[in-house]
Amino acid sequence: MDSLKLLWMSTGLANFELGQVIMMLVGCGLLYLAIARNFEPLLLVPMGFGAILTNIPAAGFSEVGGLLHYIYYAGIDTGIFPLLIFMGVGAMTDFGALIANPKTLLLGAAAQFGIFATLFGAIALNFVGLDFSMKDASAIAIIGGADGPTAIFLASKLAPDLLGAIAVAAYSYMALVPIIQPPIMRALTTEDERKIEMAQLRHVTKVEKIIFPLGVLMMTIFFLPAATPLVGMFCLGNLMRECGVVDRLSSTAQNELINIVTIFLGLGVGSKLSAEHFLNAKTLGILALGAVAFSIGTATGVLMAKLMNKFAKEKVNPLIGAAGVSAVPMAARVANKVGLEANPHNFLLMHAMGPNVAGVLGSAVAAGILLALVG
Amino acid sequence: MENLQQLFIEAGTLMLAGMVFVFTFLGLLIVFIKVVLVKLATKFPDAIVESRASSKKNNKKQDGNAVSPAVVAAISCAVTQYRQQHSAQK
Repeated sequence: MDSLKLLWMSTGLANFELGQVIMMLVGCGLLYLAIARNFEPLLLVPMGFGAILTNIPAAGFSEVGGLLHYIYYAGIDTGIFPLLIFMGVGAMTDFGALIANPKTLLLGAAAQFGIFATLFGAIALNFVGLDFSMKDASAIAIIGGADGPTAIFLASKLAPDLLGAIAVAAYSYMALVPIIQPPIMRALTTEDERKIEMAQLRHVTKVEKIIFPLGVLMMTIFFLPAATPLVGMFCLGNLMRECGVVDRLSSTAQNELINIVTIFLGLGVGSKLSAEHFLNAKTLGILALGAVAFSIGTATGVLMAKLMNKFAKEKVNPLIGAAGVSAVPMAARVANKVGLEANPHNFLLMHAMGPNVAGVLGSAVAAGILLALVG
Repeated sequence: MENLQQLFIEAGTLMLAGMVFVFTFLGLLIVFIKVVLVKLATKFPDAIVESRASSKKNNKKQDGNAVSPAVVAAISCAVTQYRQQHSAQK
């Protein structure tokens, strides 16, 4: 009888707690979004599955000795996984559109306002009883950068307890770019502005593309060393792509390596989706603030483009300002789509890639500033 | 409450410093692109790409299988058309 009782006590059914069941359902929800709705499936599948694994009672996946515990501490706590992902993103990024039209860097800079404005929102939530410190607020605000690896990197350094909620919010909103951005873009622009056609971009030479990542790295070393982990790995990936002599390394960084790291990154983030970390009012606050950050970033990007049009001879279509929030290449595609609705002959994709990659650099710089001043 | 007020002041300072720094950094990048990269582009036009492209073309010429069937079809069609016109003139 005792053995039967012991056997029953070792089953999952006897050990389940309500919180674990809810978090498993959250994991299933993430799997549903990834598989049925195609929302950021590369990360949400391992993340959702990680959430299920970490909430299995008595299995100890996230306790010392458990697989997810070691994945988290080896790759996310140390910051290695997001940095490797950033190297792969660098290897996939073509800075040609940005170099051809450098003033689009200003759009990428303006869109970072979403990050810094959200700091106020996070602090303001202390009035309703949520206890967010400045470190928590900074980690939450980076969701506005719409850059998954940057958000995970900063959250792992400043607010590891909030990492799961921040990663879920960041990737959810990145997947929701086609739904969140167009209404804001339409509200802030007139039909005529959306119809603006931009001049064809000039040809960018190989030498420019090789020197660009080195120049960015040098500037980061001089002015913001705190951002060199992110910018440095990004530039390394980009240099491997552009120099043309290490095609095998470039190919590995943007295919096999990034795929392997994405699996572990997703599982590691999923391990933070435990009931005690996720099922609280703070998560709701983070989800709300993430949407606010994203919307403000989109709006300020568009408004900056309109401001530039007041002074510049060559007009820019303000829709491409919305691509300044990074979320490469989804935000650029959205700008292109909304532009085509107003003018079916106006293809903005290449023009929008400029602020889009500027947004990646901008959010990495913003993360470096937050690390330097708050970390 | 006083603590919250201090947090708001801190957030405001961070926002101001952050936005100024982001704009300055990316503004300097614009200067770098316009001053350094554009000059480099005029001094070193795309020699590397051209040589690689031409070497690829040579490789394609050496490797008979690399020519796509569509190109072969277009060339043979043009040759046939030329011959027909040529014979008609005769």
